[in-house]
Amino acid sequence: MNKLYQAKHELWLHITFSSFAIENEEIKSRLYDFSMIAFRHMKWVGSSVLESGENYNYDRNMILYKQDSVFEILNSLKLKIEEIQELYLDTVLFQRIKTDEIYLLEYISETLKNEENNQPITSFNMKRKWLDKNLAQEQIDALTVFLFDESYKEYELILVYAYMQARTNDILQFNIYQDLIDESHFHLKSFGNMMAKLGILALPRELHELTYIVDDLQQFIVDGIAEEEAAKIMCKELSDAVKDEELSKFFDFINFQENYHIELMKKLLQ
Amino acid sequence: MFENVKLPEGMNPETLEHLMNPKNYGKLDSASGIGVALDEKTKEYVIFYTLLDGEIIKDVRFATNGCQDTLVIGSMFTEMIKNNDLEYANGAIQKMHEKLGNLTKQQQICAEIVFSAFIASMKNYENLSNGETEELHLFKMKDSCDAVGLGGENTEDE
Repeated sequence: MNKLYQAKHELWLHITFSSFAIENEEIKSRLYDFSMIAFRHMKWVGSSVLESGENYNYDRNMILYKQDSVFEILNSLKLKIEEIQELYLDTVLFQRIKTDEIYLLEYISETLKNEENNQPITSFNMKRKWLDKNLAQEQIDALTVFLFDESYKEYELILVYAYMQARTNDILQFNIYQDLIDESHFHLKSFGNMMAKLGILALPRELHELTYIVDDLQQFIVDGIAEEEAAKIMCKELSDAVKDEELSKFFDFINFQENYHIELMKKLLQ
Repeated sequence: MFENVKLPEGMNPETLEHLMNPKNYGKLDSASGIGVALDEKTKEYVIFYTLLDGEIIKDVRFATNGCQDTLVIGSMFTEMIKNNDLEYANGAIQKMHEKLGNLTKQQQICAEIVFSAFIASMKNYENLSNGETEELHLFKMKDSCDAVGLGGENTEDE
């Protein structure tokens, strides 16, 4: 079952990063909706693994290929979905997952029929140019470091909180983890789309179990609050460094969101 | 190899490539030695897996929850030592120390945690070779990315 869980994890990332890579807003948005469904699939498969007395981990074995066109991305995604369908068992859960994915396959097939959808992909070109903004090189450098650091951190938070959420029987804790996961999804989406704009879209690195198997929850939360404080400082510094009104406002907005994350985490300590 | 190493402040294409696609990242099931270097203050760690064939480093992997500087240095360092012998690897540490001299104190600490994890993996190999049972070898870093704690020697876990 861990193999299947791993495949679901990889598929979630595959759909998510396909969404980030594609510029067409309609396709981007549809794929992102499917990626959130895929994340729920992953969560349900995880619960099913735990109920069966087994365990799962966050190991993965995938490469995000630097594709040049929307159709290359969609064809690669189509193959991945077709492959995973072979792994499903005959249960209500897997029937549900299968029908969701068949619907996604139909959407992809329809999209592939319209040649106008086949636009070039610039998300991996490493040019680090934000075409509709006039950012100086040092601002681009600061933004680059921030995006790599924070996209990894949001991915890490999603998986760590999901791991703990799957293992708690406390409703308050469960709900707090859910809020934190939802917030990190939004941040990952924001940062991933920015990385794509700059041509530096990349998968966050894999999580080692030293990161997500938590022995001391209290200490983990205390450390997490310190990390949120550090993230706030980074957002503030970036907001000051990036002399662009729209971007500065966005990073201030993210900065203020961290305040509430800290409050949620404090509730976990109670 | 490290003549052009410049970490994010002066980002070059090589650094960017390591950020987008870190080399030798992950785990190694058949490692001869596993080492961890831990910054207790920030909880940042690097875990290092080394597979030896005699004196030759046949394969190597690393993983970290740390910052991008740690990631880039880990990626570069593993590329440098893979398929070379232990003497070269020890020299590489020295060479990288020299090359990384112009980095900020914080970036030097990131380099130190990578090197310490590699040395810990060698210590684990030595201990296992001497018949000890040890899942991995842990070094606790004295210098922390959290700049308050600068100064001191790394210690082995008691």
